[in-house]
Amino acid sequence: MCCVPQVLLGDVGTGKSSLVLRFVRGQFVEFQESTIGAAFFSQTLAVDDATVKFEIWDTAGQERYHSLAPMYYRGAAAAIIVYDITNLVISTNVKLGNKALKLWDSLNIPATFLSSCSDFCASFERAKRWIEELKAQGNSDMVMALAGNKADLLDSKNVETEEAKTYAQENGLFFVETSAKTSSNVNNIFYEIAKRIPRVQPSQNPAGMVLMDRSAEQTARASCCSY
Amino acid sequence: MRSSSSTAAAATISTTNKGVNPVIAFEHKRDAYGFAVRPQHMQRYREYANIYKEEEEERSDRWNDFLERQAESAQLPVNGRPSEEGKETSHAAEDGDSELKKGTESDDLCERKSGSDNLSENDTEEEKVQSAPEKKVHRIQIWTEIRPSLRAIEDMISVRVKKKGILSKDEQKTSQGKPLTPTEDARSPKGASEEDSDDEFYDAERSDPVQDSPTSGSGSTRTGGGADDAAPTESLFPWKEELEVLVRGGVPMALRGELWQAFVGVRARRVENYYQDLLANETSCGNNTEQQSLQSDSKGSTTESIDGPEKWKGQIEKDLPRTFPGHPALDDDGRNALRRLLTAYARHNPSVGYCQAMNFFAAFLLLLMPEENAFWTLMGIIDDYFDGYYSEEMIESQVDQLVFEELVRERFPKLVNHLDYLGVQVAWVTGPWFLSIFMNMLPWESVLRVWDVLLYEGNRVMLFRTALALMELYGPALVTTKDAGDAVTLLQSLAGSTFDSSQLVLTACMGYQNVNEKRLHDLREKHRSAVIAAVEERSKGLQAWRDSQGLASKLYNFKQDPKSMIMETNKTKANGDLSHSESGSTNSDEVLISLTGDVDTGAVPDLQEQVVWLKVELCRLLEEKRSAILRSEELETALMEMVKQDNRRQLSARVEQLEQEVAELRMALSEKQEQENAMLQVLMRVEQDQRVTEDARRFAEQDAAAQRYAVQVLQEKYEEATASLAEMEKRVVMAESMLEATLQYQSGQSKVQPSPRSSHPDSSARSNQEPQQEIPARKISILSRPFGLGWRDRNKGKPGNVDGSNDGKPSNEGQNTEIQQKDTNDKETNGKDTNEKELNGKDTDDKGTNDIEGQHKE
Repeated sequence: MCCVPQVLLGDVGTGKSSLVLRFVRGQFVEFQESTIGAAFFSQTLAVDDATVKFEIWDTAGQERYHSLAPMYYRGAAAAIIVYDITNLVISTNVKLGNKALKLWDSLNIPATFLSSCSDFCASFERAKRWIEELKAQGNSDMVMALAGNKADLLDSKNVETEEAKTYAQENGLFFVETSAKTSSNVNNIFYEIAKRIPRVQPSQNPAGMVLMDRSAEQTARASCCSY
Repeated sequence: MRSSSSTAAAATISTTNKGVNPVIAFEHKRDAYGFAVRPQHMQRYREYANIYKEEEEERSDRWNDFLERQAESAQLPVNGRPSEEGKETSHAAEDGDSELKKGTESDDLCERKSGSDNLSENDTEEEKVQSAPEKKVHRIQIWTEIRPSLRAIEDMISVRVKKKGILSKDEQKTSQGKPLTPTEDARSPKGASEEDSDDEFYDAERSDPVQDSPTSGSGSTRTGGGADDAAPTESLFPWKEELEVLVRGGVPMALRGELWQAFVGVRARRVENYYQDLLANETSCGNNTEQQSLQSDSKGSTTESIDGPEKWKGQIEKDLPRTFPGHPALDDDGRNALRRLLTAYARHNPSVGYCQAMNFFAAFLLLLMPEENAFWTLMGIIDDYFDGYYSEEMIESQVDQLVFEELVRERFPKLVNHLDYLGVQVAWVTGPWFLSIFMNMLPWESVLRVWDVLLYEGNRVMLFRTALALMELYGPALVTTKDAGDAVTLLQSLAGSTFDSSQLVLTACMGYQNVNEKRLHDLREKHRSAVIAAVEERSKGLQAWRDSQGLASKLYNFKQDPKSMIMETNKTKANGDLSHSESGSTNSDEVLISLTGDVDTGAVPDLQEQVVWLKVELCRLLEEKRSAILRSEELETALMEMVKQDNRRQLSARVEQLEQEVAELRMALSEKQEQENAMLQVLMRVEQDQRVTEDARRFAEQDAAAQRYAVQVLQEKYEEATASLAEMEKRVVMAESMLEATLQYQSGQSKVQPSPRSSHPDSSARSNQEPQQEIPARKISILSRPFGLGWRDRNKGKPGNVDGSNDGKPSNEGQNTEIQQKDTNDKETNGKDTNEKELNGKDTDDKGTNDIEGQHKE
């Protein structure tokens, strides 16, 4: 069996916990309790002829919990960076000014949600920052996936998807639009990660690891595919 | 005080009858507090529900008793209170007690809450409300004094609160970034809102010195008083220890909300109208949230830079429905109250603003107390207990994790070794525990009990103690796990099923008394610098990275905007060094010029920008190189450490093995020694036996020798006897022949003439005796024939007899036969005689001849 230590990163309310819960328990609730600090889940998945055990750290989304994130992503072999596609759409449409108002009506987004976007924190921008940080400080051969969540709220054929796609391509990630609510592509994204996890681990260690984390990673790797 | 906006207030707190929030799709099983219970824990919760009930009854009795005694003792000293107030106190005290009793009857928090609302506030507050009902139509004023029976506790705590307040104020003089303290802030609204009737009421009610600080101007003037107050704390509150025990045993649900306020020192913290003013800010800025969001929307991306509490609005809004979703008490009104509370706090302390986790705390407090009370409690907890915990960098939270790790390492070295081996960091799990103050991490009953103690103690010590207790409880199970995932899952789920709240709290309080505030303070000091350094380094590194990325993205935009041609040139530039890029830029210039004159003007500054960017890039690369070198060094040391650790582990394993072997050998040795001892004993016994047998042998030999000697002696005697016998026989023969000869001579003489005696050649002595023995000789002759014959016969068989046996029996027999032949009647006596003859042979030897002659003559 192969253990994949994995981390979920992304802005507040993009649906990280919902994605994991859908994957691990097959459940979905409209209002998932906010995650404090981080929560741990594990789930096994059969990929080809191997069994992969995901050890998933679902982190808190708020910016200030950022300072805790390194603890969780440093030892990780894979990461899913989640953004909220409706958020992206709004942030881009805002540039269009008044036209946006009409769009919101067509999007069928609850009013409370609209007000919650008052600062337009642009979860996609946040996702980009996460990716940059992972590249700079994370594990060099970490498998990264970009997930545009809440796909059920939108027609997936819009321009913004293209932007995310190109960004993902340029940065060597793979991109999927998911929906924890309808469970579309949820298993897919984990399956893809499992396939991309290198089976024969390189012996060279990634840079920038302090002792604790390296040993953490080593044990995780040592256990990988060894039993 | 629920007054004008009583609907809102009541709705906030006492929403029992209202159904479940319709938005909620999933309905979980809920506990007595209305919180969801995970399905896997349902069974255990049911098991414990009755225990909780019993505990609750027991503790409400104890608290009742305590408070009654408290009230009695309070009656004696008047405390210089206005008489009017004293009346009210006693009245309300009764009220409170009856309430308490009532409260214990039902388990449901919400029901009880509504009950207490109805009972206690209606009569006492209606009058005040009446005075200013119209003025506060739009104000949301939800504030209740806690029942006076708890006043003593409150007073005790308020000394602590005031001391801290003074301390923090002193700090504030040096550092300006601290949250604004309500005491200072409140002075201006105080003057402005004189028309508010509530002021007078509260001012009148405040009689203790603590309350003077806000009213008598700046708190710093009371610095001296604070020090004075600190000293007599112990003597003033002799029941403090009893209270501590009671708190550890748990706070009764009916009193929890008010006691918590007393513990946090809400009354000492509270500043009149401060909360309302915080909320009023909002209405002045923008009348409603929707409108405001629209305004910021129109501004576009600049919204991100909005300063002040408004930037938290979105996050608060997002978290409102995500706070205890589906809790029956958190309906629309409840969530509105929650929104106000969180917003007010964010405005009160912008350095913290809104942090996830506060939503849970606030909602939780709202379930226990009125809105403004909840605000002051929350403020006390976040600003005081958890100062620096939820701020932007969460420094104290990280420090606490390092401190905790050190404590765990010290207390449970085996567990930590195992977790290290698995690659699990303790902070992975305990970080969320600390940040959420165990909310959603433990069953609710346990959370409440931990909070009881934590709030009472006024610091974070209980966090550490509880976490250590959990490690103690679940460490043994964790040690058995085989990989990191299992360990974390197990710890999470075990902690989630810690239903035995009493055990948890007692283990925490009793088992870890040496984990105290002073020790934690020292440990925090030790670790803080490292955390700050790490945070600074990280933010610096990220900043540099982000800056360069910012430029890069600008370039990215730039290259998308004009034409793809420039994109290529950019790419070549990005690859190469400065000189190369310059040539590239000239190229691009040419291309641009050739393409359009329009772009030309824009291209020059762009190129300058590119140069700047490249310089930045170069700097970044240098920086990276430096950090790479640093990293490699770090790695090297880490490697060394690892190797050392590895060696140590191997060595310790080897040592263990050797020790085991030594122990085994020692065992074998002792066994051998035992065996040896046994053998020795056996040998000794054998030797003894041998000696005994040897002795026996010697004795036997001696016996044998003695017997042989005896035999020899006997044989000698026998030989002598036979020799003397032979001699006597000879003599007998001789005597016989002599007798015969004499007989023949006598007969010859009697026939012819008796021959002269002197003519006998052999012996003259015999011849001398002959005349005297003439008469008996006749008799002998008759007897002599058979006798004489016997002796002759015997002499013929004699040699064979002597050789055949050593003893004289055969000869006896022989004699006996002879004697039998002679006379059967005298058989035995004759045998004896012969024996005697043999034994006394020697003696008889000398006289033998004469005796025999005499016998024969007889």
